Amino acid sequence: MIEIRDLHQSYTGHEGAVEVLKGIDLTVPEGSITAVVGPSGAGKTTLSHCISLLEKPTSGEILVDGSDLSRLRGRQLRSARRAIGTIFQHSALLRRITVAENIALPLRNLGVVHHEMQDRVAELLDRVGLLHKANAYPGQLSGGQKQRVGIARALALRPRILLSDESTSGLDPDTTAQILSLLADLRTDLGLSIILITHEMDVVRHVADQVASLSHGRLAEYGSLPSLVADQDSTVGGQLLPIAALPLPAGFDTALDLAYRDGDVDPEWFTRVAVDHQIRLALLGGTVEARGATALGRAVVGVRAEQAQRAIGALNGLGLSARVRSDAGRSGPLGTTTSIAGTDPAGPPLSVAGQIQTGATVGATA
Amino acid sequence: MSATADTSQPLLSDTPLSELPALLLPAYGETWAMVGIVMVLVVVIGGATGVLLYNTSPRGLFPQKRAYGVLSWAVNMGRSLPFLVLMAAIIPLTRWITGTTLGIAAAVVPMTIAGIPFFARLVQNTLNDLPQENMAVGLVTGSSPAQIIRQTQLREALPGLASAVTLNTISMIEYSAIAGTIGAGGIGFLAVTYGYQRFDMTVMLGTIILLIITVQLVQFVGDRIARSLTRP
Repeated sequence: MIEIRDLHQSYTGHEGAVEVLKGIDLTVPEGSITAVVGPSGAGKTTLSHCISLLEKPTSGEILVDGSDLSRLRGRQLRSARRAIGTIFQHSALLRRITVAENIALPLRNLGVVHHEMQDRVAELLDRVGLLHKANAYPGQLSGGQKQRVGIARALALRPRILLSDESTSGLDPDTTAQILSLLADLRTDLGLSIILITHEMDVVRHVADQVASLSHGRLAEYGSLPSLVADQDSTVGGQLLPIAALPLPAGFDTALDLAYRDGDVDPEWFTRVAVDHQIRLALLGGTVEARGATALGRAVVGVRAEQAQRAIGALNGLGLSARVRSDAGRSGPLGTTTSIAGTDPAGPPLSVAGQIQTGATVGATA
Repeated sequence: MSATADTSQPLLSDTPLSELPALLLPAYGETWAMVGIVMVLVVVIGGATGVLLYNTSPRGLFPQKRAYGVLSWAVNMGRSLPFLVLMAAIIPLTRWITGTTLGIAAAVVPMTIAGIPFFARLVQNTLNDLPQENMAVGLVTGSSPAQIIRQTQLREALPGLASAVTLNTISMIEYSAIAGTIGAGGIGFLAVTYGYQRFDMTVMLGTIILLIITVQLVQFVGDRIARSLTRP
């Protein structure tokens, strides 16, 4: 388990001291993944460097299994760093040595005896599914394979904490999915506390247990992923399941924002509102997907103004929170997504067509 | 205009082609002796300076603004004088170290002093080209600075370092020829005394051709080594 307590970090530049982190509190229990999201300049990289003990924070604590590692120096610092495995954005493999030698390097530098080292390297390569590439050079691997070697190397010293700093940026969606499922397996099998620093909301949605959103050096939002998605006030929740809603069709004048609340949502809610309550609904957009046993979902529906209050009551009874969409949040013409705050440089991951499709499909996509 | 090969005036005539090897080969050996000794010193001292430059720079393992500033200034100093000027300027130092101002020993001193800062910058630039993340990997896996310098800096930079040695060697061949003007011996000395001062075209052309071939060969071998050190 890693606990970050009241972490501050400032740099002294030409214009005086700049405080990049203004008091971060974060706890990642064993066997769980916490995603740290936020726009560029929010302090993600600084936080990452503090966690991997590459930078000393100006104040605050970084507790790994109860002991503070943030103030150590020299030899103690070097050995503390081994408790935290880091996966880098560009895998950062040494190009002139083989895959097996790359993984062995941390072990060799620790002074592990040769045959134990070889056993461990084979075990790690097997773990990431690259036993057949042991003697290949990094230049002969694909991006996803390199990243898996990076993961194996990060695991070599049996860390308790795994820090992934944008490790899926630049990978294609299939490869990203493979890396994420590997991380999810590692979390469960090895009981690791994993911190995932990323700007990709799709990545967060697929693996994170908790989400922390950084903004100007502070945690703007912090909570479990389902609770954030269920919270209509959550900006991150909206970014996790972005909806580009269709315009209201003729005969409808009120749009309702819906979110699946934690727990038991009747999957037949749409029919139940229409049939049991005799309220006409127009589905304008939405995403519903399984997240373990819980359903994550957000949707936008159209109703007639006079039926709006009844509809809200009916939906609440079926396990959805609903509220009238304000004009400010209403989508413009097709394809513009004014409801999504611009934190994702790559833009919203799904097109409008994709929204309609996923919105209409209730099923396991995770 | 008819006296194409008038051997009765040996001082003004060209050396016969048959005697050229006897002149060129010993001089060529002297050139390589100079360049060889200088390169050993340059690689060791200049290499260490380059590693120090890189690691005290903001990108390095132990950034030290002041130390980097001093080191960088010293390196620039060493590189700012044209070799001919440097050679003349440090004659007292050369005499103090070697006891002479003539011959191979005397040439080695200015060549080494010119070569060290040159090589140090080449090493620094080569290390600058390595991905920054590599060093972070060494740090987060708890490696010591010595391990990081050896494994993630020098070993990863080997192809680039081989190219740097090649470049430096060629520069030193050139410097050895300049050193020839103050009687250092070697092929430069030959070119100056025979080719330039006695208008001996055969020796002049011989030295030029030999130098061209030598530089091409050094570059060829250097490229080959750099390529053989590069992994896919």
